[in-house]
Amino acid sequence: MSSGLLFACVGAILFSMGVAGVILIGHLLRRVLAFNLMGSGAFLILVGLAQRNDVPDPVPQAMVLTGIVVAVAATALALALARRLHALTGKLELPADEA
Amino acid sequence: MSLVFDLLLAAALLWSGGRCLSVDRLDRAIVLFIAFGLLMALAWARLAAPDIGLAEAAIGAGLTGALLLDAYGALKRRKE
Repeated sequence: MSSGLLFACVGAILFSMGVAGVILIGHLLRRVLAFNLMGSGAFLILVGLAQRNDVPDPVPQAMVLTGIVVAVAATALALALARRLHALTGKLELPADEA
Repeated sequence: MSLVFDLLLAAALLWSGGRCLSVDRLDRAIVLFIAFGLLMALAWARLAAPDIGLAEAAIGAGLTGALLLDAYGALKRRKE
């Protein structure tokens, strides 16, 4: 088993843990953490699976480099929204929608 | 030898990621997330992508960790 495949498997497990966290956890800051975990798993799959015979492919690496920066911007936006929600309602959870 | 290191790194990644979601105190969860980011930087170095490793250590662990700790501190101060 090459290290690329190993880290791709780790990325798949991390992605599923992040999905479970985003769905199951109510606290918004923890949800942001789970979302970041999900993104890291996706990046690991991208770079890990792109290696054939331990020769790295530069195109997914450039995509992941861009994705890390975008993930930080999305995290900052999510944190600003959570702080605004806390200032307006005093809670750190999304309101349950009335069906 | 490198396979042992890879397996240890993978186990540490999974452990810190899982604990980051399941630990009960929020500040510990954030610190665990920063540790997870630094371990990810090591994983990028193992995957022959040191540039992504540098970006992950500076932006993914450093900047995101600072943002999360800042938000945590602000929310805690407002709650008191």
